[in-house]
Amino acid sequence: MKTLLAWLLWLWVAVVLWAAFFYAPLAAGFIGQSSRILFFHVPLSWTAFVAFIGAAVWSGLYLVRRQPDDDRAAAVAVELGFVFCVLATVTGALWARIMWGAYWNWDPRQISIILVLIFYGAYLALRGAIEDDEKRARLAAAYALIGIVVTPFFFFIVPRITFSLHPDSVINSRGKIEMESRMVQVLLASFVGDAALFFWMHNLRRRILALRDRRAEGESAVESKSWS
Amino acid sequence: MWRRASTWAAEAAAVFAKDWRCELRTRYALNTLALFAFTTMVVVSVSLGPLGTSADLGVSVLPVLLWLILLFAAAAGLPRAFVEEEETHTATALRLAATPSALYCGKLAYGVTLILALELLVAPVYAAMVTLSIHSPGLFVAALAAGGFGIAAGSTLVAAIISQAQGRSTLFSVLAFPVLLPPLLLVVELTRNAVAGHPAGVALSQLLLYDGAITIFGLMLFPLIWNP
Repeated sequence: MKTLLAWLLWLWVAVVLWAAFFYAPLAAGFIGQSSRILFFHVPLSWTAFVAFIGAAVWSGLYLVRRQPDDDRAAAVAVELGFVFCVLATVTGALWARIMWGAYWNWDPRQISIILVLIFYGAYLALRGAIEDDEKRARLAAAYALIGIVVTPFFFFIVPRITFSLHPDSVINSRGKIEMESRMVQVLLASFVGDAALFFWMHNLRRRILALRDRRAEGESAVESKSWS
Repeated sequence: MWRRASTWAAEAAAVFAKDWRCELRTRYALNTLALFAFTTMVVVSVSLGPLGTSADLGVSVLPVLLWLILLFAAAAGLPRAFVEEEETHTATALRLAATPSALYCGKLAYGVTLILALELLVAPVYAAMVTLSIHSPGLFVAALAAGGFGIAAGSTLVAAIISQAQGRSTLFSVLAFPVLLPPLLLVVELTRNAVAGHPAGVALSQLLLYDGAITIFGLMLFPLIWNP
């Protein structure tokens, strides 16, 4: 069953890749084929967002329940979310080079995504700096929750610093999706694919970490036995 | 009930008094902070040259430099409040002696007074050195107070986290940067308004909102950071 699901996921991603180039039409007002990056850039950033929300929820759960598995889930969500976020940044920069003439020009979206990367980079640095499992889990969870309090302030501040050239969000400020229907289909299909990929990798990595922790526990138990 | 409230306040006051007594015995933090700030001010002033900046450029650049000096001086001194407890192995005694929230308030009061003392020393000297003429001195003082409070509150929380990790001093700047960026951006905006004689604008209310949010959240989160 599991192998079948994994193959279905690969098939889904392959179809999305094909559809992004051959099924969906080009959007008006974009240079060349550049609008097709929409089908990769937007789902990647949405998935990163889902991952970071998940990390915050699992961190909160850890502080309430103190289950090591919640901590592993939060850590893996940040690791994977970080990768998705880097990919969203890179695809965005490639598109910016074509449309705006420069890879980087401190658009508000670029400021926000850099701040997100720095914050979760700091989170991973903190995890790397603590040996003790319980202490690492507790402090990392606390830091992840501080992020939830601090980040909303950027939504007030960043738009005042500079204006944005970024295209409308998929659901625009008038609350509507103004996009060709085939484009919406591919976009949503791509998001489903990315999200499924995220949860699949999340589950794998979480189980690997659980096994590793269990082996470490077993080793230390054997060690203490041989000492006594 | 009253009795409990009064012991809580007494505990917070005792932590505050203890930190200042230790500080005044060695004057380690104050001397380091003041010397650090003074050296940086000299570097800034010399680099700007004998003529300083033009009036227009001064309004936009000089407040930024002032807050960078204060931020880095604070980053050199504020984490000591918790790092020292771990280094001298007094943290466990402190865990037994005081309720976490009272401890947090005592440490916060120490951090705030330390940074206000630093600002009292630095701001007039800086204004004189780079010939910064301030059009609304009242707003300037309000910016120093509200900004100093925000930086102290954020730093206290991060310091409590990093004091329990390895590589503390480097880790502090990495972890504190994303947390302190919102108050820093807001206070720079506010200081610019004060220098140019503009009204405070929304920056003041947003900065006060940050100060309140981080303090209240700190009170809720600190027991989880502090107690194993």
